[in-house]
Amino acid sequence: MSPLDAKDYDVCVVGSGAGAGPVISELAKAGKSVLVLEKGPWLTEKDFFKDEMACCRRSTYTPSLNDEQHVLEEETRDGGWVSEPTSESGWDFWNGNVVGGASNFMSGFFYRLKPKYFRLLSEFGPIKDANVVDWPISYDDMEPYFTKAETEVGISGKVVKHKFQEPRSTQDFPYPPTAEHPVVKRIDKACDELQLQSLPTPRAILSKPEGQRNSCEYSGYCGSYGCSSGAKGSSRAALLDSAVSTGHCEIRPHSKVFKLKSNAQGKVVEALYYDKQGKVQSVTANIFVVACHAIETSRLLLASSGPKHPNGLGNNYAQLGKNLLFSAGGSGTGEFHYKQMDKLSATAMKTRGPFVNRGLQEWYYFNDKSFGGEAKGGVIDFLLRHPNPISKAMSTRWNDNDTLNWGHDLKRDLKAVFTESQDLRFEVFNDWLPTDNCFVSLDNSVKDKWGSAVAKVRLGYHEHDLKVGEFLAAKAEMVLKQMGATNIRSSVSGSPPANLVAGGCRFGNDIKTSVLDADCKVHDVENLYVTDGSFMPTGGSVPYTWTIYANAFRVADIIKQRV
Amino acid sequence: MNNDMINRRQFIQLIAALSASWPLAGLAGEQILGRSHDEIYQNLSDPWLTLAEVQEHLFPADASSPGAKDISALRFLSNMLDAPDTDAEEREFIFKGVGWLNDLAKTTHQKTFIQLSTDKKESILRKIESSNAGSRWLSLMMSYLIEALLSDPVYGGNRNRKGWEWLEHIPGYPTPSPQNVYFRLNGSFNENTRRRTKA
Repeated sequence: MSPLDAKDYDVCVVGSGAGAGPVISELAKAGKSVLVLEKGPWLTEKDFFKDEMACCRRSTYTPSLNDEQHVLEEETRDGGWVSEPTSESGWDFWNGNVVGGASNFMSGFFYRLKPKYFRLLSEFGPIKDANVVDWPISYDDMEPYFTKAETEVGISGKVVKHKFQEPRSTQDFPYPPTAEHPVVKRIDKACDELQLQSLPTPRAILSKPEGQRNSCEYSGYCGSYGCSSGAKGSSRAALLDSAVSTGHCEIRPHSKVFKLKSNAQGKVVEALYYDKQGKVQSVTANIFVVACHAIETSRLLLASSGPKHPNGLGNNYAQLGKNLLFSAGGSGTGEFHYKQMDKLSATAMKTRGPFVNRGLQEWYYFNDKSFGGEAKGGVIDFLLRHPNPISKAMSTRWNDNDTLNWGHDLKRDLKAVFTESQDLRFEVFNDWLPTDNCFVSLDNSVKDKWGSAVAKVRLGYHEHDLKVGEFLAAKAEMVLKQMGATNIRSSVSGSPPANLVAGGCRFGNDIKTSVLDADCKVHDVENLYVTDGSFMPTGGSVPYTWTIYANAFRVADIIKQRV
Repeated sequence: MNNDMINRRQFIQLIAALSASWPLAGLAGEQILGRSHDEIYQNLSDPWLTLAEVQEHLFPADASSPGAKDISALRFLSNMLDAPDTDAEEREFIFKGVGWLNDLAKTTHQKTFIQLSTDKKESILRKIESSNAGSRWLSLMMSYLIEALLSDPVYGGNRNRKGWEWLEHIPGYPTPSPQNVYFRLNGSFNENTRRRTKA
């Protein structure tokens, strides 16, 4: 390589979350020079407290919606679409804009995909108005990387035989399950009585110390909170810290990439970004990797037009941003009133700290007449109501007639909500079918604080998603009922969870119907990879962070061969 | 029941482990943002005088539970209105609400809000609530009150953890000190990035 061709870095990675971490750490460990450009600040264990104001009441880890926002498009009753900027609606679509991304704040319910899932179209057939496809790779291609993530990220759990158990190349998880809440015994008993098999849910949480990371301290505040012990398998704690210690990886926080510049051959030559002071900086590299959250990845590529890519990088066949996915399903609750229990059981039920870690996979695939036979279902996870007291108390603020609740009435309601019962909740995860009505584009009328067009997201869903969600929610309600819960209710809707987003750059073998090839390289750009959840052509019926980690480890191996 | 015995043993072991890793309370010498409780509440003048009275009406003390002053709700409000990320408009709006409230009290009863009986306070506040702006103002006051009741004491409310204690809430650890409250963590906050409180 002549000095004229010399690049600043071997690899430049945009983003630092679950899709970026494996690429960063694998390449740094292989001695490649890696630059990470992360929009947010670099916080560490000592910056994380069990502070509800920080995690959940203010925009501490995410931008102010006046500075950076989305425009969301929702369907109206007459089938039209109406768009609203999130600075007006307050519907925050950010997840965690810090080094390590949203993986800092996940709950870490970890599931592998199952072999049949990679052949969704072949196994279950087409669904009208849904863009269901087979994946260009198989479970066997991914299995080594699901396994690798278990040790590298730190996944605790216990392998239990069941009818949908995925094949594994190792006997069991490298870490035993985390401590379990007393309510687990009740769940197991009820499931036994119903002849259902309750399964331990693997968690990306260390149950014993590893290297610089401590074991879980069971504070009882996990999801939405940054982890102060290092036990949670965030990209930062599990992967970035050790990548930096190799001396080959540099992380630049407060660096907002706004354009990838490409040349006449369509190759990416430069990443342009704003630094903390708002000044434009640029960096060159041999290979560029984008992993800055599904919506933002599509947005960046759409904004990165070049001579060979007039409509955005990888958008010559108008596939970019299309087939955006969320997780479909919903959630439900049942109440357990202490006064209906003996004192010991009530005390046990009030325990704060250990995890529930129980789920049901009985209906991952199922046969049901109302679905015309064999159908694709999903999973159910049980969890306690989030212990955040402010959000719990806020639910008592309004009366049924939309007037505010205050004074002695409010205090009576608060006392009841906090001290008379424990809520056991469940979450249902099923496929958010890819459709033509769920995609990312640019909104040229709304700009972020740097003057770039923000992402506009159309939030259409498929009716089938609700049907499956309701089927599963009814099963979960059955378990709560068997447990003796009262006031059982659930809600399944087409409203997307902003913390579970994938797709937009689906991978596939045909450039006309996909953005990425099977290696997650943009089809017609020789040095650009996308390694966050954007690659997924279908979303799986499980939370997909483990899949994102595993796929990024897979692509890291591919990139390693090239630099 | 056999199951419950097992649960109990595990539970006791767990509590023992937790107590060893974190002290259960850190009341002594707890550091708090802003001015002291006594400084805040002595010699009140408007708008703070009326705000304190409104808070006490919305969240009154009784024999078995704390009221707004007991949890230092006014100190919390003052700290939050001073926080670098609080929208300047929101601060103005809170203060303007005091003006509207007293204007209405004077037109209806020829008295300021704080001079009214509890019943009359209630009817004035319900009247305020029937307008859009009034409802927004009260709902914001309620948000700040509930945050004052249950946020970490470092922010100035939940005085001596009375809110947590009353609702038998078990906090998590570690808890923040004034050096690392939310608006000092990010490193990118400045006076230009103000925002509205999440309602």
